[in-house]
Amino acid sequence: MSKLLIDVGSTYFKVCQQSGISQYFRDFKKDIYDDLVTKCGNIFSQYHKEDVFICSSANGGLSTLIIGLTNSFSLKFAKNIAFNSGINIIDTILYSKIEETKAPLELVDVVIVVGGIDSISNVFDEKLLNYLQKVQYSNIVYVGTHQDAKFLVDNIPAIKILGNIITGKLHVNETELKEFLTNLYQADIVGKEDIKHLYELTSNQIYSTPYIVNRSLPLIDANFEVVNPFIVVDIGGATTDIHYSRDLVRDNILTESEYDRLVFKKLGVYKSRETLVFAAKNNEFVYELLSYLNVTENILEEESEKALRILMQLSIFLVLYKVSRLNPMYVTLHLELLKTVVLTGGITKVLSYEEVETIIVFFYKKVMNLHAIPTIVMDYEYAIWTLGMRNNEARS
Amino acid sequence: MKKVVTGVVGNDIHVVANRLIDISLQARGFEVFNLGVNTSLEEFIDAVVETDADILLISSLNGEAEGWCRDLQFLRSEYSLRDVVFVIGGNLAVGEAKQSDIVPKYQSYGFDLVFHQVDLNTGLDTLEAYMKERA
Ligand code: B12
Repeated sequence: MSKLLIDVGSTYFKVCQQSGISQYFRDFKKDIYDDLVTKCGNIFSQYHKEDVFICSSANGGLSTLIIGLTNSFSLKFAKNIAFNSGINIIDTILYSKIEETKAPLELVDVVIVVGGIDSISNVFDEKLLNYLQKVQYSNIVYVGTHQDAKFLVDNIPAIKILGNIITGKLHVNETELKEFLTNLYQADIVGKEDIKHLYELTSNQIYSTPYIVNRSLPLIDANFEVVNPFIVVDIGGATTDIHYSRDLVRDNILTESEYDRLVFKKLGVYKSRETLVFAAKNNEFVYELLSYLNVTENILEEESEKALRILMQLSIFLVLYKVSRLNPMYVTLHLELLKTVVLTGGITKVLSYEEVETIIVFFYKKVMNLHAIPTIVMDYEYAIWTLGMRNNEARS
Repeated sequence: MKKVVTGVVGNDIHVVANRLIDISLQARGFEVFNLGVNTSLEEFIDAVVETDADILLISSLNGEAEGWCRDLQFLRSEYSLRDVVFVIGGNLAVGEAKQSDIVPKYQSYGFDLVFHQVDLNTGLDTLEAYMKERA
């Protein structure tokens, strides 16, 4: 008996059977379950519940506030682990600046507090408690020096204490925090009423899509013409994700996973179009880029098929720019080593190979000063997530 | 046990001295946190903060340290690291340079001990003597 794989996205459902993948636009007036059953009811009747596998990227993910002692260790390590657990970061706070920092207005799903190797103490004090009084959060976890755990437990209700993510040698230890966050994320997705309902269609666990995509990366080169190191750029309606091989980062972080992920919440072409346009207008290369594409700035305000294509091209450029050396405040990837760029998500339905190539040529020439570009692979069928799902079955 | 953070500053990949420094410091009874080559000044300072280190020992071989270390005073005051001993050594200028020019310059950036083209053991002996005197 074959399997039925379903991905619930923020704009589409993707349904994969032996015969191929089909896509359905979401109807936002209906809840997810009703929408899916209306569109694919006859498909479900052909499968047993145990042969149906569902993953979901609808509804974003968790919001996180990380309070850490330094940028280069506490905050960097915690951010990395959070990304790898499928979480969208909202904010980081440097502990030395906590008194001057405003608390976020919206509810935070999880606060992470981190700082110091285990041999040091008295890192955290009243300043932390005062700040936390102003923050609304659902979960709080501490992963800093073990010696301060008692102070935090005594003063912060329901704080969860896990092993320090900074080892005695200043390396990262991700195991416990990653497991905790992954479970939280999982519980959040599955706990959403909309998604819970989907258990009427499957008897398997429902996973988050980024988690599944991350799991599929080690399998990618067997199924596509991909050469390592590569990046996968997933440009969807609400967010843009980059998954990349760790060979592209030369930092001192030693992690177990070969691949990392970054989420750009503000670079989606539909739901976060305004912030995308804002980022574009503030980029030093944008005017040159627009004229290279033979359009003017006005296109950014238009509502047309052409404007959408330009926005998508811009989002490819911006996302590469953000991880390039020109943006040192962020994770820097050594893009000169890159051999393959895989594009997936809504973008492959809109842009042609040539349009993608044009923009990547521009990026490499202007930003990297290189004439050769990596190989471009278009995942037109959005097949990447099905690899991860299949991989999942094999494990479970 | 005194804690030392060490590494090679900036875009400098000369790694041999760094390995020797790590080994020698350990042999002299220090606890060593080695950040390796290609380390920015901010990473050094952050490592000192995370480990509550007593000493920051930077090396630079390719001659470009000056450009990387000018912000030391600023970062030092950001975190109030008054008690930490700052040491730098290696080739601290491009080409020929006089000790008498280099030492005061780096001291003005905030380094307590400056070793331009000084042999490692001599430098570490001086450091140990300096630590004893302070204690
Ligand atoms: C091997 C080497 C390389 C190798 C490095 C391989 C590697 N991954 O380590 C390669 C070929 C890659 C290389 C590249 C370059 N190199 Co080179 N390299 C050398 C060489 C020949 C030996 C260095 C070495 O390993 N020595 C052995 C170790 C044990 O000795 P050491 O490094 O001198 O360290 C001792 C002392 O300095 C001291 N020390 C070091 N740090 C500290 C700190 C403290 C606190 C103390 C007390 C003492 C101390 O203790 C150590 C033991 O006694 C030297 C020349 C030389 N003979 O020294 C040039 C040399 C260091 N390189 C130099 C240059 C210019 C470069 C390049 C810029 C060349 C280029 N134009 O591309 C690049 C820079 C690349 C980069 N981004 O950093 C110059 C630096 C000139 C200057 N500062 O004025 C040197 C001095 C050559 C020269 N005479 O011009 N190099």
